[in-house]
Amino acid sequence: MLFNSLSFIVFLVIVLVLYYGNILNWINRKRMLLFASYIFYGLWNPPLVILLWISTVVDWIAGNKLSIEENQRKRKMWLLLSLFVNLGFLVFFKYRDFLLDNFTSVVNTYGYGYKAEPIDILLPMGISFYTFQTMSYTIDMYLRRTEKARTFLDFALYVTFFPQLVAGPIVRAQDLISQFYEEKKATINQFIWGLFLLTIGLFQKVVLADTLLADTADTVFGSKDILNGLDAWTGTLAFSGQIFFDFAGYSTCAIGIALMLGIILPDNFRYPYAAIGFSDLWRRWHISLSSWLRDYLYIPLGGNRHGIVRMYAALMITMLLGGLWHGAAWTFVVWGALHGIYLVVERMFKNKIHIKIGPYNGVILALVTYTLVNFTWVFFRAREFSVAKNIISSMFFMNVEGSKVLDSFEIIKVLAVISILFVCHWFMRNTSLKEVSFKIPSWVLGVFWAIMFFLIVISQGSGEQFIYFQF
Amino acid sequence: MNLKQSLFVAVTLGMISLVIWELYWRNQGLEPNIDDNKNLWANQRARLENYDEKTVVFIGSSRILYDINLDIWENETGTNGIMLAAQGSTPIPVMQDIVENTDFNGTLVIGITPPLFFSTINPKANFVQRSQSLVDYYYNRTYAQRLNHMLSVPLQKNLVFIRDGDESWDSDVDLKTLLKQVHWDERSGPRYPPFNNFEEITLDRRMKMPEIMVKDTAYANTIKKVWTTILSGDNPPPDKETTTNTFVDLAKKFQARGGNLILVRCPSSGLFKDIESKAFPRAQFWDPLVEKSGAKAYHYEDFPELTNLFLPEWSHLAAEDAEVFTRVIIEAMKKDGVITNLKSN
Repeated sequence: MLFNSLSFIVFLVIVLVLYYGNILNWINRKRMLLFASYIFYGLWNPPLVILLWISTVVDWIAGNKLSIEENQRKRKMWLLLSLFVNLGFLVFFKYRDFLLDNFTSVVNTYGYGYKAEPIDILLPMGISFYTFQTMSYTIDMYLRRTEKARTFLDFALYVTFFPQLVAGPIVRAQDLISQFYEEKKATINQFIWGLFLLTIGLFQKVVLADTLLADTADTVFGSKDILNGLDAWTGTLAFSGQIFFDFAGYSTCAIGIALMLGIILPDNFRYPYAAIGFSDLWRRWHISLSSWLRDYLYIPLGGNRHGIVRMYAALMITMLLGGLWHGAAWTFVVWGALHGIYLVVERMFKNKIHIKIGPYNGVILALVTYTLVNFTWVFFRAREFSVAKNIISSMFFMNVEGSKVLDSFEIIKVLAVISILFVCHWFMRNTSLKEVSFKIPSWVLGVFWAIMFFLIVISQGSGEQFIYFQF
Repeated sequence: MNLKQSLFVAVTLGMISLVIWELYWRNQGLEPNIDDNKNLWANQRARLENYDEKTVVFIGSSRILYDINLDIWENETGTNGIMLAAQGSTPIPVMQDIVENTDFNGTLVIGITPPLFFSTINPKANFVQRSQSLVDYYYNRTYAQRLNHMLSVPLQKNLVFIRDGDESWDSDVDLKTLLKQVHWDERSGPRYPPFNNFEEITLDRRMKMPEIMVKDTAYANTIKKVWTTILSGDNPPPDKETTTNTFVDLAKKFQARGGNLILVRCPSSGLFKDIESKAFPRAQFWDPLVEKSGAKAYHYEDFPELTNLFLPEWSHLAAEDAEVFTRVIIEAMKKDGVITNLKSN
């Protein structure tokens, strides 16, 4: 089920009525939330709920064993079981064809003429998110960083909680499970603020991403021609906006819906396009994934504790795997590699050049960072390297006579949206939406809210999927 | 900050804005409208899973969708029609689905629109993709999508600004479509003239040409302008051999299991008729198809009473003329014993 759909409105109303209707006690409300979460997921493809159940049961058992087992070898076995099941799902459903393709290519370079028929398996929605979330529980249990969930119901709800089930934020056990222990009800202000966040999230997704930017990105990245530089830049900028609004929109909806239930989820985005440098970017973009990769990959790989070379290697491996997490294709690996290189180069410079960031050079550096990020988005969006190569060369204005696939209005529209996006991020980079909202009169917020609501309704998104569902 | 006050302002202003928006579009002459989209098609395709001896299936392009009046058909024949024709597409993917994925062996009526039917079977071609995407949607649609459609129908029936079209020709009034209509220049090439709506369809896909197309010549001419632009474009040559052979293979399989296959060539006029008679001469396209497939076939030119029907935009019959066409075709079929009147039986 998608947040931007009529069925979700009905679903949410029913859930809220049952949640606040004083007919269920807290345990039964949690059961209702769990059942609703399975309905939320199952309305997409019912059999795939079984994967959720397997992941839940295996990690619940592994977590229980890890909480009492003292034998280090056995503890490791329970952790490995959890990793094997969750990563096994990921490999089978997400990377199987990719691995098979590459295996076939390698084998055939030695003249074996091996031919493998890829199995076109449906990728279970949000599998990368819930497997990472549930793995974090067993890893934290293994490292004795968190306590065992008190009941199976609490744990199952942690794995399946519908607002963040299919596209995050990827929440750690200690941040979410403990919220299920005590009865939760949103205050009236929390509820209204949650509704406001839901509106902002839908506005980002339905109006900004799908209505104003998606078609331009599709036209440019779907073109078979060598493009004019202006078209290539406009398409890439449009995608940079689309991916942000799509994903941040989902996260904002998730945080808002959870808040309407009295549950607090962590921020997933903090105005990333105003980042100064790439370390800053990854503290602002998909925060729950970057912190997951930091805690469960970068630090175990050595982090910055074993010298510069090892740190750079850990950074590169983390970003390469981070790229692969997004999709089973080499274009995603290149996207990760570019970010890895950016991070390494940035650290090398930081050791040698010390710049005091002020408001004027800050905005220039943010703009430089954003420009470099756009080059990485080309690989993220392009389905083939040939497309990425053409677009990159056009972005360097090497194809002056390239095809023009966009009309002037479309170019102006995208440039206007992206300029506003960048300016908003810059002015918001050290504050939060809530802080700004407290500073403006209530009626101004109401008018802003009404405009967003009106634009969402007249955009009538026909239930476009969120981009990150495929990851 | 008082959030309750903000919410009150938002709800009040939001609702007032929507009412004004709805009234504006009504004032522009628009009426609530059901769009012919993938959900309507999939619902009809689902009916084929429980067919009986009274079931007759129609496939083809938009012409048979407009030109066969299903109410008259059902009344005159005592059968239940399932309309699976898809606008702007070749029927071959749908035919393939029926032959290979169902055991339907009743009457299958196929509308042949030569420029679409004989175009290609290349899966990447628009005409093929369009009908294949409907078949794929039928198999892949989720329960959430079914629920969304169910919930959107009452809104589509009552509100002008709620539309649910899938195609660029659907005259939706959503923000994206409205923005697409803004053209400052032709930087990326010439633009198509606006494609005004000329469909009135029911939930079970009974299509009718709206009255405005008959009464308002200027409105009908806007559609002719679109056709002229499309037809004067650089269209690839037809792939007669492959399309015919692919169809004949499917036809033979269908007939081998007892299926009753009927081909119908619906009328065209004006520029369409000129181009079709020159680029797709009957003797070279229609006749070999009929002969090779062994299907019973009905070409409008063989019926004097069908040669002067009114097609407001050259390609589809006006509602009253569709009734005439349907009755004449049914009579001819009954006379040939191709269909029996289950009602009188």
